[in-house]
Formats: sequence, structure tokens, C-alpha cells
Amino acid sequence: MARRYDSRTTIFSPEGRLYQIEYAMEAISHAGTVLGVLAKDGVVLAAEKKVTGKLLDLSAAKDGGYGGSGEKIYLLNSNVIGGVAGLTADANSLVNYARTAAQRHLLMYNEDIPVELLAQRMCDMKQGYTQFGGLRPFGVSLLYAGYDPHYHFQLYHSDPSGNYSGWKATCIGANNGTAQSLLKQEYKDDIEVKDAIGLVLRTMSKTMDSTTLGSEKLEFAVITLDPTTKEPKAKIYKPAEIDALLQKEGLMKKEEDAEMATA
Amino acid sequence: MSIMELNGGSVIAMVGKDCVAIAADMRLGNQALGISSKFERIFPVTDRIYLGLPGLATDVATLRERFRFRVNMYTIKEEREIQPETFAHLVSSTLYEHRFGPYFIEPVMAGISKTPSGAVKPFIAATDLIGCLNFAKDFVVAGTASTKLYGVAEGLWEPDLEPEDLFETISQTLLNATDRDAFSGWGCIVHIITKDKVVTRTLKGRMD
Amino acid sequence: METSFALTGKGYVIVAADTTSARSIVKMKVDEDKIKTLSPHLLMAYSGEPGDTVQFAEYVERNIRLYQIRNIYPLRPSAAASWIRRSLAESLRSRKPYSVNLLLGGYDTATFDPHLYWIDYLGTISEVPFAAHGYGAYFALSLLDRYHDPSASLEEGLATLKRCIDEVSKRLVVSPGKYKVKIVDKDGVREVEL
Repeated sequence: MARRYDSRTTIFSPEGRLYQIEYAMEAISHAGTVLGVLAKDGVVLAAEKKVTGKLLDLSAAKDGGYGGSGEKIYLLNSNVIGGVAGLTADANSLVNYARTAAQRHLLMYNEDIPVELLAQRMCDMKQGYTQFGGLRPFGVSLLYAGYDPHYHFQLYHSDPSGNYSGWKATCIGANNGTAQSLLKQEYKDDIEVKDAIGLVLRTMSKTMDSTTLGSEKLEFAVITLDPTTKEPKAKIYKPAEIDALLQKEGLMKKEEDAEMATA
Repeated sequence: MSIMELNGGSVIAMVGKDCVAIAADMRLGNQALGISSKFERIFPVTDRIYLGLPGLATDVATLRERFRFRVNMYTIKEEREIQPETFAHLVSSTLYEHRFGPYFIEPVMAGISKTPSGAVKPFIAATDLIGCLNFAKDFVVAGTASTKLYGVAEGLWEPDLEPEDLFETISQTLLNATDRDAFSGWGCIVHIITKDKVVTRTLKGRMD
Repeated sequence: METSFALTGKGYVIVAADTTSARSIVKMKVDEDKIKTLSPHLLMAYSGEPGDTVQFAEYVERNIRLYQIRNIYPLRPSAAASWIRRSLAESLRSRKPYSVNLLLGGYDTATFDPHLYWIDYLGTISEVPFAAHGYGAYFALSLLDRYHDPSASLEEGLATLKRCIDEVSKRLVVSPGKYKVKIVDKDGVREVEL
């Protein structure tokens, strides 16, 4: 029955549903988890990488650049970090659009784009793909973690339908239901960044598919405010820094531990 | 009257020993009427590259904003800072895009670039308003006082000046040249760029 | 013929513009308001080509208001100035550019300080402590160089403005009769009688 109404995105089904969008969300539910938590002095993002392996060349991520292997967490602007879940190729296209949109705002208004405005620009574009053109929607959900002088630290989530909402803590991708309920229990309104980091890592360790929790499988980023310059500071952690952080939190799980348990 | 002379202003860049200097006056005028004595026409592109934009003031703002856009996109995608030579070509191609309706600016660039072996190489360049690059080894000048700047620089410049001496040389060049030009002056700013830091100084000159 | 002045002081910006609307040798109107209130803390005095002036000023006013409605908070003076400048810079290389000169005075409610921008029809922008457009500028700017004090009280600022207005009335061949004077500070925009 549904088959007749999903060949084109621009068509409603008799029940009033847009199947292509729902199928897109289905694709996202198989993707690596991305978790975000809003603290009063910063925002924390963590993501599970699905593309891993010994033969993967990660030298660029280890030594240079902004950190992150370029799979889940991206720097969108100096005041916004984005976490993506879904089709990587679609995500690349959206990240590029976000970066250009942020620069266009800078060109026009000579100020960093407010976080909500960036989310709106992305959503306006994504909504277009659900209404005209006959093209499929983007199979990507994004988390935007950022700072602007008007509303300070913010966390937003946008999905393929072009809808977005602001969150104190949220999760997208695989196992997001489990993570969301864990966050609901543990989240406190006046949480600080250092506690938020612990909360995020603990939640990730419980919801991630893999038995190991290490920098090969995890991407991590934090956005805070520099106390002297009062400018937002976006930090995407390098693999070595993630391992150090996990050690500090006492969450470093090793492959050997899992083997010992089965033996 | 030429459009390039509407607002006034001049910029000079010089090469020293493992350092570069870039300096400009700070006058913004409307022909003979002076509007502001704090008009900045030198902007940092990265920590080690500075861009001077003499010419029509509206294009100074437009170009500065456009280059900021393009360099930000470059930096965020490449995940590294743009090199001076690459930036010079970015300037050149941006200006040539408007070959038949150009920006009325003659950019001057100064920076420190890294050689493959890790050594530092001082770098200066200038273009005309449609993007013709000039990679000089000694100094580059542009603006309403450019002819005067050529004269004084030719007399005062010598190779391998240390940062402190380069500062004195470029300052004297700029002050004396702009004093002879009606459309330049009203304050001077000098940036000395070395491997480790950038020192910015404003000069006390004639405010007439 | 159209003259406008503006100056900053301690926590305020005073913007003044003449009120004469003339065509050739005839004064069509003597009570024209050439200062638009763009937002609760932003004033813009305009002068230049008749028609272009009001068109552009209203275009700016409506777009600034639209931004405010869409995005809950209003544009800061510096962001508004950038947007206005960009509109003029884009218009400059279009088929028919706007020929409008502006004085933009605003109070930034986030950082609690006044800002004044001199903007011309080419899209040249400069943040200044005081400014003027028109023939009156040739007389007023030197007076302001001498008597302006960035930390002056409102009364002192208005006295300085009166000096400029009196000088222009005395020395400019076709000088405007009346001026409209508006002030923007932390409490918003209000008009005063000099």
C-alpha cells in the first residue's frame, strides 16, 4: 500500500504521511550515535564512529588540522560545531552548505552567525528537498552546538524533514532512545562542562555497540568561552586527547578486558 | 579626477632579514575634505600574513570582507592556514574576476612563509587593480603617494635589515613620502612581522 | 544643500538633519523629517538624490524591522551598519545605484556604548566620534574638531551641536532654516527642540 506513495518525495500518502522523510529517518537510526549535552558554561558533543579499521589512514587527524577524523564532528564556524548522523556523503554536502551559510552571514553582518539562525538556514534548505524538485531528502540528522552573545550556549537538532528544536541534552543515530532516557535521568539544569563531559562519556559507553571505548571509535568536541577574550572556543579533540580524557574519567575499556571476560 | 584618488591613502611593504614590514597612513578623505584619521587599511589575513588595501574606501571594506570569507572557507576545509604565495594568487584571481568592472584597489601583501625544509622566508607582493602580481624582492608600494614612496624607499632601503632597523626604515619612508602627498597622512601605522610575533606601532607624524 | 550632523557623547548619540525639502530654487516643504528610527536604539539621517533617499531609507528600515521580527532580538548597531554598507556597495555596481549618504547613530544595549557611523553613497564606512554630510560639513567639522568631547554630558553635546548649526546658518549661502534633532541612548530614541 505504501509503495505507491514513496516514489516521489513531493507526494503525501492517503494517511497524510511523507514516506521518503520517514525512510530517511530510518536510515539515520542505523548510523553512529551522536550525543549532545548543554551545560551552563559550554556544550559537549560526542559521536561513535562506524568507519574504523587498521588500514584507515588517520594521519591527518592525528597530527594536523582541527582534530576529528572528519566522519562525525565538524567545525561549522568559529562559534558552532556540528555533529552528523546518517549518510556521510549527504552530510558532507550539508556541512559545506552550513560553512558557506555562516560565511555569508559574516559577509553581510560582520558578526558570527547566531546558532539558531544557522540551524534555520539548514532547515530551510532541507525543507525545500521535501516539497519541490522531485529530489530525495538528505538522509542526515545534525546536532548544532554553539555560542552566540544573544542566547549564549545552545544545542539544536535538525532532521531530514527540515524541522529543528532546541535541546538541553539529546541524541541522534543508533540507540538514541536508550541514550535519551539515560540523559533524562541524569541531566541537571545547572550542570557544568566538566560534569557534562563525564555524563556524555558515561552515556556513550552504555549505548555504544562496541565493547571497546577508545579514540578509534569515539569523536569528541567541546565548545566553551575563553575567559579573557570572551570569544567562543571550539575544540574538537585529537585521538590522543580523547584517550587521555577517557583515562581521566576511568572509562578506558581495552580489547583484552573483553577477551578475558569471554575466556 | 581619478576614482583611485577620491579617498586617498597609501601602503608600503618591505623585506628585512627573516622579517617583513607593512605600513600605511590612516587618512580617509572625500577629495579635499578629511573624514577620519583612524581609517584602517591593513588587515591580518592569518597570524603571519597581512594585507594592505589602498584605493577606494568602499572597495577596501568589500575586499577585506570577501577575502575573509574565502580564507575562512579555505582554512576550515583544508584544516591549515593559507600560505602567503597561495594567498597572493587568491588576491590576483579575485581581482581578475572583475576584469571589466574592477575593484579600485591595488593590494599590497606581506607575510612570512615556510619553506619545505622548515626555514622562514620573508614574502611581499603587490598587484594592480586587475590582479597582475608583482613579487618584488625589496619593497612594494601603492596608493596616492606611491611615486613619493618609490623615491624614498629606493634611497633608504638596504638588504638584510634587522626588525628594529626595518621599522626605522619603513617608518621614515612612509612619513616623508606621505608628508609630500595631500591625500595621504593623518596618522601612520606600522606592522613588523617576524617568525614569532607581530609588533604593531602607530607613529607620531604631521597631522596636517 | 542638505545638511546633517551627528556627534557622540557619554552614553548617547545626537543626530541632526535640516528639515528643508527643496527643488531648484523652491522650498517645497520646511518640516521634512530626514531622520528614520530603524529600531528602538538606532537612528539614521539620510541625504542625497531625492527619491533615492526615502526609498533606500524605507528599504533599510523595513529590512531591519524584518530581521528583528524574524530573529527575536534586534541587530546591534555594528551589524546593522555592515548590512547597510553592503546594500549600498551592491547597489553601486548595479544598473542604477542609490545615491544616498547616511549618518547612522546607535546605542549598543549589550555593551552599553554609543556608536556613530559615517556612510556615503559608495558604501564607504567609518566609525567616527562626530560626522557631517553636505556643504555644512565644511563648516561644522572643524568646529567639532575643536569643541567635541566624547565624554560630554547631553547638555554640553547639544550646545556643541548648536555651535555647528549657528555657523552654517551664518556662513552658508543657502542655509537651511530649521533642524530636526533626535537623540538615542539607553532609553531609546527621542526628539528634542534646540
